[in-house]
Amino acid sequence: MLRVSGLSVAYGGLRALDGISLEVREGEFVTIVGPNGAGKTTLLKAVSGTVAATAGRIEYQDRAIGRLPASARAGLGIAHVPEGRKVFPSLTVLENLEMGSYRAAARAGRRQTLEETFVLFPILAQRRAQLAGSLSGGEQQMLAIGRGFMARPDLLLLDEPSQGLGPRIVEQIFATIAEIRRRRRLTILLVEQRVVEALELCDRGYVLETGRVVLEGARATLLGDPRVQRAYLG
Amino acid sequence: MAVAELLQYVVTGLLVGGVYALMSIGLALIFGVMRVVNFAQGDFMMLGMYLTYYLAVAWHTDPLLGAIVVIILTLGLSLIITNVTTMVLSPMPRGIKTAYATRAFALGAVLVNEARAYAFLMALLLAAVVYAFLTRTDLGKALRAAADDPEAAAYQAIDVRRMHALAFAIGIALVAAAGGLLATYHPIEPTVAVNFIVLMFVAVVLGGLGSVPGAFAGGILIGLVQSLTLLVLPFQLQNVGVFIAFLLVLYLRPQGLFGRRLRSV
Ligand SMILES: Nc1ncnc2c1ncn2[C@@H]1O[C@H](COP(=O)(O)OP(=O)(O)OP(=O)(O)O)[C@@H](O)[C@H]1O
Ligand SMILES: [Mg+2]
Repeated sequence: MLRVSGLSVAYGGLRALDGISLEVREGEFVTIVGPNGAGKTTLLKAVSGTVAATAGRIEYQDRAIGRLPASARAGLGIAHVPEGRKVFPSLTVLENLEMGSYRAAARAGRRQTLEETFVLFPILAQRRAQLAGSLSGGEQQMLAIGRGFMARPDLLLLDEPSQGLGPRIVEQIFATIAEIRRRRRLTILLVEQRVVEALELCDRGYVLETGRVVLEGARATLLGDPRVQRAYLG
Repeated sequence: MAVAELLQYVVTGLLVGGVYALMSIGLALIFGVMRVVNFAQGDFMMLGMYLTYYLAVAWHTDPLLGAIVVIILTLGLSLIITNVTTMVLSPMPRGIKTAYATRAFALGAVLVNEARAYAFLMALLLAAVVYAFLTRTDLGKALRAAADDPEAAAYQAIDVRRMHALAFAIGIALVAAAGGLLATYHPIEPTVAVNFIVLMFVAVVLGGLGSVPGAFAGGILIGLVQSLTLLVLPFQLQNVGVFIAFLLVLYLRPQGLFGRRLRSV
């Protein structure tokens, strides 16, 4: 589904990603964990096209997408739920969700996807007419995920959905991500700092540090790895 | 002062304000989406005035209809170089003579100039169409989304560069149409561009930078204040009142009448 090889990104000379290679197979749930500044967000942005790669290759559904603009990549079914949620504050909740299904392939099924989204996030149905900018942080995160779900994506990129939220909301959000996966056999690439929760959800994971992959493996392998336990699990 | 006289000024101000409102939302839309103040808006307005004028002279097109033709023309030719107009057109003021320019309805004791009334109604209609476009259509919502957060818009498959072009085209088409409407009662001369860009800019700041409903309210407010200023000051000083109102609003409400935060259309 997604294959990244030798990917490097630099911000004004400073290397943020240094020859990253990874793969996400169809239907798989892959997690990337790592400390602040490791390059997790940069990796997702390079995949969806809002950050330019200096080297490397990105293939999606067996097709090189590295030269496509971000909007065209989204059009192919890559939905990116960005760090910091980035809902459209002056649009209503409903309008935000509608924009999720802006791409031609999702537009036709909008009404049905909307109903499903409201089942996943009942709070969004209640707040449909409210401006997204007036939602609480947790609600905005649900809206951002709902907006991604509305795209009927083949590949869902989630960047730290737990950021800045209380433990109850985080639990709810992780449960919904698992539920989304049960409903649609879609492929998920999740970036997280909450290492335990994220690794427990995934099939496979990568550990990223200062722009490099330092460890990769199946869920059980990573959870059992002494380095992971020492660094992240206490 | 008689109530009727005051009412007369209020009505005149409202009518003129409607056309100001239309030209101001053009500027607000471009600013909201592209984050640039398009100072050429005044020139596009003047272009609309001249186009309407020549349509009226050459083909006897009714200027109100001319304003619609102007919309279509400018939407199509949205990237016309504006400076040409001053070189080609003589600085002699012109005006369009229509039957309704000098006629008036009587609403009780208040006289309503027909040209202004029609221009006002047309401006209102066009503003309503723009509003419906922005709030009812996918493309309009995508335009607002791109203004709110261009990066997140790209993640929804919205082509942000295309949205910029669209906002620009609509923005200048609106201001050109407003120019066409203005031409039914305002003299047409090359200096109108400079005079009106200032008014539009004030309207947009008054309304809250980049807010379309705000710019609409700002335009109406300017028309009212200009007109009411005439009660106490001579015609040449009618914009003094506008700037006093401008400073007052910014002092009391720095984010503008409809301003929430910076990014919003
Ligand atoms: N726009 C930018 N300009 C310059 N440097 C940047 C920019 N964005 C990120 N960086 C740098 O690139 C590196 C990787 O940042 P990135 O945001 O990808 O890390 P991250 O793993 O997502 O971190 P966090 O867990 O805090 O979100 C960091 O050193 C960061 O300072
Ligand atoms: Mg990050």
